[in-house]
Amino acid sequence: MASRDIVQYQAPLSRAFGWFSAVFLALYLVWTLLPILVMFISSFKDLLEAFKIPPVGDWAGVTLFFDFTPTFKHYENLFVNLNFSQYMANSLIAAGGSAAISVILGSMAAYSLSRIDFHGKSDLLFWIISTRMAPVVAVMVPLYWIFRELELVGTLPGLILAYTTFNLPFAIWILKGFFDDVPYAIEEAQMVDGATRFQAFLSILPLVGPGIGAVVVLCILFAWNDYLFAAIIGSGGAKTLSVATRELVQPQNIQWGPIMAAGVVTTLPMMLLGLVIRRYLVAGLTMGAVKE
Amino acid sequence: MVTVSIEKVWKIYGRIPAVKDLNIECANGSFLSILGPSGCGKSSTMRMIAGLEHISAGEIRFDGRRINDLAPKDRDVAMVFENYALYPHKSVYENMANPLKLRGQAEVRIRERVLAAAKLLEIAELLDRRPQELSGGQKQRVAIGRAIVREPKLFLFDEPIAHLDAKLRAHMRGEIRHLQRTLGTTVIYVTHDQLEAMSMADRIAVMHEGVLQQLATPREVYNKPVNAWVAGFVGEPAMNFLDCTLEETGGQVRFVHPTFRIAVTPEQARLLEASNRAQGIRLGVRPDALTISLAKSKEESMTGRIFVNELLGGDMIVDVDLGPERVRVKTSTDFAGNEGDVCYITANRDKWHAFSKETGRTIF
Ligand SMILES: Nc1ncnc2c1ncn2[C@@H]1O[C@H](COP(=O)(O)OP(=O)(O)OP(=O)(O)O)[C@@H](O)[C@H]1O
Ligand SMILES: [Mg+2]
Repeated sequence: MASRDIVQYQAPLSRAFGWFSAVFLALYLVWTLLPILVMFISSFKDLLEAFKIPPVGDWAGVTLFFDFTPTFKHYENLFVNLNFSQYMANSLIAAGGSAAISVILGSMAAYSLSRIDFHGKSDLLFWIISTRMAPVVAVMVPLYWIFRELELVGTLPGLILAYTTFNLPFAIWILKGFFDDVPYAIEEAQMVDGATRFQAFLSILPLVGPGIGAVVVLCILFAWNDYLFAAIIGSGGAKTLSVATRELVQPQNIQWGPIMAAGVVTTLPMMLLGLVIRRYLVAGLTMGAVKE
Repeated sequence: MVTVSIEKVWKIYGRIPAVKDLNIECANGSFLSILGPSGCGKSSTMRMIAGLEHISAGEIRFDGRRINDLAPKDRDVAMVFENYALYPHKSVYENMANPLKLRGQAEVRIRERVLAAAKLLEIAELLDRRPQELSGGQKQRVAIGRAIVREPKLFLFDEPIAHLDAKLRAHMRGEIRHLQRTLGTTVIYVTHDQLEAMSMADRIAVMHEGVLQQLATPREVYNKPVNAWVAGFVGEPAMNFLDCTLEETGGQVRFVHPTFRIAVTPEQARLLEASNRAQGIRLGVRPDALTISLAKSKEESMTGRIFVNELLGGDMIVDVDLGPERVRVKTSTDFAGNEGDVCYITANRDKWHAFSKETGRTIF
């Protein structure tokens, strides 16, 4: 798992390929980062300044884009008038809650599925992942009906439950792969040393740390970026950032400034999450535990 | 300290039986070695004793108490695994402290025990390292250390020193034996190396294809093997086997082989008489019970041709072709024979064995 230096040999072809990939990556970065840059800068611009666009073909006019007096009024507007702090909290709770539940239940289920053999195990595994095969819209109507009967519509627990039904199968599948890679011997040694099965399970969790990190990120991203569930099941009481942002687009009045600011507010936490969790995603812990 | 009784134990994986009707009694405070080639069911037996593997049939008792359904942690055994099974995310110290921590011992006492064990195993300077920063031999010593910090009722060693170099292995053999003597703890020690079993154990259980062949002291296993298989497995270099027929002339019973006719002792003649000799006989004789010479002696001897000489330090092993078969003879280094020379081999008749050709059972 831990990577090694790769011996490289210089050949004309590989050098050409190196140049090609550099150019490709540069273009790709511009393609992906430019919109974010525009969003970020525009969120600090007054509406008039935001729409100052140079004529087509006037490349020198690009400087116009950076020529503005920064203002925080859109952010003020979001948090003071538009109640965005509430929506942000909702988003955080829904994403974090569902990620936590998915990781806890998922790791226990994945451990069992990895360690215990029983009849129909492969069918069960397939069934678990098959729940993710239908697109969300396909199950939305029955799900809505069930949630309404249970009076979960428009509540945070309802939203967490909805995200968990979709995150859990994912968590189980990813984590099972990680548990499969942990040698039995480690937990067997734990049990002989005096641990219960559950203690032994807990003791190998650090070894699947990268898997848990990956699952947390994927679960949070799924919930954080979701619009459909939030709009339908969370509608009303559990409004999240994505829904609130969408509501800024009104038929008569598209509020560009607040929309850009909301975009930044929605994107930044996920970027921070990526930075924080990156450390845990680095694998390589099981190396050397067991003689192959 | 505990008496371990394995009674009519079977281990069946799916359809494949790995251990068949095993009966072993290991006395309190004794050192039992389970010896056998790879895949004979040694580890399976060990894992059943530790509680890591379900016992398909039969019973295992500690001091008369049935433990089939006891969880590993309640059996109070310590095990050294074939593949070390160290915790990769913990330091050497934490690895060794783990069993004591799990049993809720005080930090001071844990420290004391771990340091003592580390000193004994000469790994005191490695305590802060992680397992991946250790060599194979060091890992193995940490694994042993983790087992001996506790004072369990029973030690289980599954080939604990198989991956050390020869010198360290010899050293560890002595250390483990000494440790067992001082602690007085019952030990079950699995190995495929007959030298380890012979040099350490009070008693050896020889297994082959899941079946117990012989349970006896090392001396007895070596000198009185129950069958040709055990005779061939124990001893280095291995015993020579020669298919013979029997012939009786003038009151003398002789082994007859295309290259020799040698009389047996009257005692042996009687034993051969009692056995069913129509089956044919395999003569078994260890390399050190044979004497080779370039001059024909007065005694009845085997005539052969030297195939190759091997110098092994203080000894020489000579491979000799006896017709279609080849035997190995141990001799001193000043033996002057060269490849291709005709030579004569005499056997120490008190040290040879006869086995039934069909069943392999020992006749004497
Ligand atoms: N989990 C398992 N499932 C199926 N068969 C198994 C399993 N474990 C062991 N076996 C089989 O049981 C037999 C005995 O295995 P075991 O591990 O006890 O051998 P061993 O004597 O310890 O060998 P070695 O010296 O190579 O460690 C082997 O034929 C092996 O293939
Ligand atoms: Mg084994």
